[in-house]
Amino acid sequence: MDNTEPKKILIVEDDEFLRSLNAKRLETEGFKVSVAVDGQSALDLIPKELPDLIFLDLLLPGVDGFEVLKKIKADEKTKAIPVIVFSNLGQKEDIEKAHNLGAQDFLVKANFTLDDVVLKIKEVLK
Amino acid sequence: MHWPTIENYAGDWYNKGVLILDPFLNFSFINYPSFWVILLVFFIAVFYLGRFWQSRESRLQLLIDEANLKTQQIQELEKVNRELEVKNRELYSKELGLTLANKKLQTLEEAKSKFISVTTHQLRTPLAAIKWTLDMTAKGQLGPVNDDQKKFLLQGLTSTNRVISIVNDLLKVDSIDADQADYNFAPTDLVKLISNLIFEFNSQAALKKINFVFLKPQTAVPLVEIDADKIRMVVENLINNAVKYTPENGQVTVKISDEQLNRAEGSLVVSVTDSGIGIPASETDKIFHKFFRASNAIKAEPDGSGLGLFIARDIIEKHGGAIWFENQSGSGPQGTVFSFTLPLHQKKV
Repeated sequence: MDNTEPKKILIVEDDEFLRSLNAKRLETEGFKVSVAVDGQSALDLIPKELPDLIFLDLLLPGVDGFEVLKKIKADEKTKAIPVIVFSNLGQKEDIEKAHNLGAQDFLVKANFTLDDVVLKIKEVLK
Repeated sequence: MHWPTIENYAGDWYNKGVLILDPFLNFSFINYPSFWVILLVFFIAVFYLGRFWQSRESRLQLLIDEANLKTQQIQELEKVNRELEVKNRELYSKELGLTLANKKLQTLEEAKSKFISVTTHQLRTPLAAIKWTLDMTAKGQLGPVNDDQKKFLLQGLTSTNRVISIVNDLLKVDSIDADQADYNFAPTDLVKLISNLIFEFNSQAALKKINFVFLKPQTAVPLVEIDADKIRMVVENLINNAVKYTPENGQVTVKISDEQLNRAEGSLVVSVTDSGIGIPASETDKIFHKFFRASNAIKAEPDGSGLGLFIARDIIEKHGGAIWFENQSGSGPQGTVFSFTLPLHQKKV
């Protein structure tokens, strides 16, 4: 990332502590991080910021993650942005639903460390 | 006019002493034969009248009896009716009870689903927070830590990971309630599925210098109709146990065998052999029980849910296969062999 523009990553997460840990980890990695605390603010933010990658929680107050994912993928402007679902759901149906809606990957938060997350992001952005 | 007197009328009857009433007592009419005829007719009439009366009475009695019988029958019918009504009411209340029980079950089912989503989210969220914090701190990503501190942090991280794996196991138990009908059976390359798992466990096995081997038949293994996610869960559990309970420099062998392929119901056999701590003979019959953990396994690895093998057996049985184990005999390291069969094709239920 030396000379290139830092990649923009949007974290959509309602849990404040998880959000700040994730943001901190990604910032130390040199990413430009923005955050949204619920589905609606994510939908407001995405067309303006056009991030390079979105980390999306599923259980969100108001508009949930599935809805956000559906809208991102329905919008010509945003549908190419890779979305990694980062949730604590993780039952088969949830994973299938997210994949069918166009999510790039599905990570269960508790099963991964933030180092794994960084690896995953680099892999997707490659 | 000559009136007959008692003397000349009765003639010699009189003299013979036959009773002849004195005409002065005015009973002389009995001496007229017509009187007797009338009397006879009178008696006959009385007799028949009496009989007629009697028969009328008996007919009346009959009617009364009949009426009584009818009343009795009606009463009995009413009783039966009442009993039927009671039975009906009982049936209705039973039906109501069943409906209520059904509703209750539905509510329970909903509560369970809710419990699962709550468990997943409510438990995993703080667990992820703890895990990430410990991980980042231990790696010095949140500031410098000394080696002592790092050791404690990593131990905390290990414990957190154990709790997470127990939560994950509990969630898998829920999948046990899935009927076979909910399984996604599809022709699957079992060799590839197991190869991928071996690849994932390689580093963990290498860490303990375990000789980790995968044996497969020389000839091509046919596709097998399974729910790949579920069978993966089973093999993962068996390999995980084998690696976990095998000491350093031990041996873990995963083998696909096609020796049962030519039987009537062709099946593949998968076995996982380890040179680990084995299973105490006294506990062998409980090893597939829910929440059961062998005493030596608890000693070696204090945390664990005791659900892995329970889930594994359920999944294999829903595939129409069987799972069993043998303790390795001999003087060498004890070790265990877990094996399961998978029929190539699923019978439609």
